[in-house]
Amino acid sequence: MSQTVLNSNIPDGPLADKWRNHKNEMKLVAPNNKRKYDIIVVGTGLAGASAAASLAELGYNVKAFCYQDSPRRAHSIAAQGGINAAKNYPNDGDSVHRLFYDTIKGGDFRAREANVHRLAEVSNNIIDQCVAQGVPFAREYGGLLGNRTFGGAQVSRTFYCRGQTGQQLLLGAYSGLMRQVSAGKVKMYPRREMLDLVNVDGVARGIVCRNLKTGEFETHAAHAVLLCTGGYGNVFYLSTNAKGCNVTAAWRCHKRGAFFANPCYTQIHPTCIPVKGDYQSKLTLMSESLRNDGRVWVPSDPSDTRTPAQIPEEARDYYLERRYPAFGNMVPRDVASRAAKERCDAGYGVSDTGKAVYLDFQRAIQEQGEDAIRAKYGNLFHMYQKITDENPYQSPMKIYPAVHYTMGGLWVDYNLESNVPGLFVLGEANFSDHGANRLGASALMQGLADGYFVAPYTVGNHLASRSLKPVTTAHPNFDKTRQEAQGRVEQLLGVNGKRSVESFHRELGNIMWEYCGMARNAEGLKKAADEIRTLKDQFWKQVFVPGSGVDFNQQLELAGRVADFMEFGELFAKDALAREESAGGHFREEHKSDDGEAKRDDENFQHVAAWEHAESGDSVRHQEELNFEVVTPSTRSYK
Amino acid sequence: MSWLTGFLKSSVGRKFVMAITGLFLCFFLVIHLSGNLLLYIPGGQVYVDYAEKLHSNEEFLILAEIFLFAAFALHIVLAFSTTKDNLNARKKSYRVVESKRKDRAWPIAFAPDYMMMITGLIGFAFLVVHIADFKLEWMWTDALAGKSSAQKVGIILGDSVRSVIYLAGSLALGYHVSHGLQSACQTIGFNHPKYNRGLKIISIAFGIIVAIGFSSFPIIAQLVPGMLDFPDIVDVEVSRH
Amino acid sequence: MSDSENMTLTLRVWRQSDCESRGKFVDYEVNNVSPHMSFLEMLDVLNEQLIVQGEEPVAFDHDCREGICGSCGVMINGQAHGPDNETTTCQLHMRRFKNGDKVVVEPWRAQAFPIVKDLVVDRTAFDRIMQAGGYVSIKTGQAPDGNSLPIPRQDQESAMDAAVCIGCGACVAACKNASAMLFTSAKVSHLAQLPQGDPERSQRVVNMVAQMDAEQFGGCSNTYECEAACPAGVSVEHIARLNREYVKASFCSTAEATIQAAE
Repeated sequence: MSQTVLNSNIPDGPLADKWRNHKNEMKLVAPNNKRKYDIIVVGTGLAGASAAASLAELGYNVKAFCYQDSPRRAHSIAAQGGINAAKNYPNDGDSVHRLFYDTIKGGDFRAREANVHRLAEVSNNIIDQCVAQGVPFAREYGGLLGNRTFGGAQVSRTFYCRGQTGQQLLLGAYSGLMRQVSAGKVKMYPRREMLDLVNVDGVARGIVCRNLKTGEFETHAAHAVLLCTGGYGNVFYLSTNAKGCNVTAAWRCHKRGAFFANPCYTQIHPTCIPVKGDYQSKLTLMSESLRNDGRVWVPSDPSDTRTPAQIPEEARDYYLERRYPAFGNMVPRDVASRAAKERCDAGYGVSDTGKAVYLDFQRAIQEQGEDAIRAKYGNLFHMYQKITDENPYQSPMKIYPAVHYTMGGLWVDYNLESNVPGLFVLGEANFSDHGANRLGASALMQGLADGYFVAPYTVGNHLASRSLKPVTTAHPNFDKTRQEAQGRVEQLLGVNGKRSVESFHRELGNIMWEYCGMARNAEGLKKAADEIRTLKDQFWKQVFVPGSGVDFNQQLELAGRVADFMEFGELFAKDALAREESAGGHFREEHKSDDGEAKRDDENFQHVAAWEHAESGDSVRHQEELNFEVVTPSTRSYK
Repeated sequence: MSWLTGFLKSSVGRKFVMAITGLFLCFFLVIHLSGNLLLYIPGGQVYVDYAEKLHSNEEFLILAEIFLFAAFALHIVLAFSTTKDNLNARKKSYRVVESKRKDRAWPIAFAPDYMMMITGLIGFAFLVVHIADFKLEWMWTDALAGKSSAQKVGIILGDSVRSVIYLAGSLALGYHVSHGLQSACQTIGFNHPKYNRGLKIISIAFGIIVAIGFSSFPIIAQLVPGMLDFPDIVDVEVSRH
Repeated sequence: MSDSENMTLTLRVWRQSDCESRGKFVDYEVNNVSPHMSFLEMLDVLNEQLIVQGEEPVAFDHDCREGICGSCGVMINGQAHGPDNETTTCQLHMRRFKNGDKVVVEPWRAQAFPIVKDLVVDRTAFDRIMQAGGYVSIKTGQAPDGNSLPIPRQDQESAMDAAVCIGCGACVAACKNASAMLFTSAKVSHLAQLPQGDPERSQRVVNMVAQMDAEQFGGCSNTYECEAACPAGVSVEHIARLNREYVKASFCSTAEATIQAAE
């Protein structure tokens, strides 16, 4: 029913040639014409900063927006482990095809082949680009680049900067962005929150944003809008996302016509520091790279209350090594998370809450020495000790899964353009490359691939192939949209109830984690939708937003985000309910194999679900079939 | 020469000049103290010979003094100029300030690096008095007439007001250079894990030596006046006439 | 976790409604502070109390809450990011405090960091320093193969030691001169130690220092308080390297600052 609406625009030809052919065929904007085009980039993480810098280098006039006080603070900075590329420097048999295959398999065959292949193709350019920017990737003694192994792969293809890869890559992209700011090609707008999308004649032509410092509403017009606003993990309240991460920009675009694809695909990261108390405001990730040397275990006897050091080898259950001998501790994230949940649900969990498993470095320290481990993971161990007050060099870390990344996002075609022409969506904000589960070290790769090597071409194609008439913020649609956005803010301030915004967010998070977390079932999902609806009603009656709308007001910012999270949460539950299969991060208890592994239903669900907003609340589910020309979807096995 | 004015206007450039002049002044302190210590060789003749030798080459002395005064002037002017900028960089101060350095022995308000301006000012005041006393012999014309250079020291430092000034000046100077020497090395870019510890020790030792060395003269002049009393030496210049 | 370990603290917090207005300290009592809370979670508890009382909560910058984004940062009893070394405010835990403690909480204070509200300051001066030269001028797509230029491991490690700066501003806050030397030197040193940064090294240092001065940061007095306050552990040896780079660039290259101090 939906193929007419959802044209993924995948180029013809053999998979490996699609991107090259497409680049040859896309229309170009002449160098002297580029300065006539304005481009808005919302968000300055890896995708946003790299896109803004690259487009500005080409000659376009870019306006870049972020809610933080500086573009350097976007949450890409928190990615620890590394970035994948098919360089095959270690000579272990890696190739573009293998990276492509691992990624699509890791995504449980729910991603578009053509997109993923392109991602693997440009992965090598990303490493080159970052090295040239001065990103200090780890090196061997001979001076050449080093690699480490990451989950879901049997080759070492992950490039890293200690445990701060995301930070270094973002600072690289940020430095490029700063260069363009000083060249006058990028105008930077920090502390701005995008509150709405302005469409003119069905094409995205601008945004409405609020200056978070002064409370002023601003409108900006452009020839294209790039949304690089990250994921929606904070719908769960507790996640590894930064406190400010939100779905608002994406959700507002959704309400202006952009389809939201696969919202139920959420990644629960297996190695996070467990929850301590109800005051807890966020969860901290311990990089997956730790599983290279750390071994995951629980006591074989659930009643064993000895300290981990006292528990002998034979009384330990290294359950990942036991269940998945081929990949061992390096199974993909969804598999590792579910295995941890399975053990804890069965009563084997450790710590006072019973919701933790051990991640043990004893053997690695014995074999390699404490210094070698410190060199690899020093900052992570330091971070762990800061938070828990325990020394991981001496006793094993306690870890538990937590919401980390969202594979779903706004629907985009091969050009990363949403179904609203002129609205491009990059990085985690789109749905395109990771299917139902993302492999470690692939998020950085995708963000930079989209920003450096895809959008600069496809945005040019949009500008050159559509005759866009001149539009300024004087166009009535800008004022109309601004008034609507302003109205929502005033409405929030006007409720004047008694409950804090935070308390609503926590409650929403509890509902989401309880019913839409690591394991889901139809009954729970229906309940989630009902409870969220009730909560939403309460919110608009009882919330209290202190202060005014005309100055710096963090509660007001949060209130707007939580309001959107509640609307989004409902769609999330709806999508999870409609997907009657288990795939990657989406695990339906009704659909599992006899040994408890996820069971896909390729016959009925080998498609992308893209939701169209309806004012009535009955969002429409469209489908984009996934056709696999090269790979054959198989049961994902890491045994 | 816009590059040079740019350099001299910049915070880093000004500090660099302060560091170079500071190091030069430290070098001068070494020479000056070595010369002064000759006073402790009994009889005082060695010191007098040294002083005579120093004054026998007028041209060299003038040149050295020009350099010295230029170094002092630059060091002091730049100290005021950078301090002004530094104070302007934070107009509203903190209610509480506490150091996070683990190696601080006492509260930062009294630490040598926080007192550079004060110790520098005390040192400067001392310098003015010192030049007035020994170079210009201002207010001492009668008392010092016909006395040997060694004997002059005993006479001037025998004055209790002077001895207090000299004592305070010497201690301030020692405190100043105990941070100044290592700070100057850092400012000219000398920082290496191999030498940092050694440099710190040398810098503090230098401060102590300067403080003890120079302050020993007023202390001894007051407590053991006989040690700096050399009535037997006849001033060479006077006897020549 | 038993409630018995929970603490009551008295906070003396700087409140200022915007850049222009006069601020003042206000005392608050916070109850039920668990030792496992982070400092920011303790402020969350305070804010929740204030909201319930219908008062405006204390504004403070924060985002990742895991010590990497550099958003958070307040002076806690006169120490940038509180008493622990190599720790951001979000990583500081309340187990460092005792029941009944009085805690003075102030924003970073520097002319270059105007106060936005309460404990929130504007650090865009750092961005402008970066714009002055904290980059390698390379366009997307121009890069040669990543392995075409071997870099001695010790150089890369040393560059990384500088590159870890999170741009939080604690160095400025802790410096008696509100100097941004540690921040600026971290970037200069990171790029000066890599072959990729070499072509522009002279111009970079000259311009970044000029911008730093133009932003009204103070100069460096080598008190090394910045290093002690730096949550990322950036060493003052990078300041020495900046000094070397600056003198070399000024006397031995043709680089001249293209940035003029604002009058």
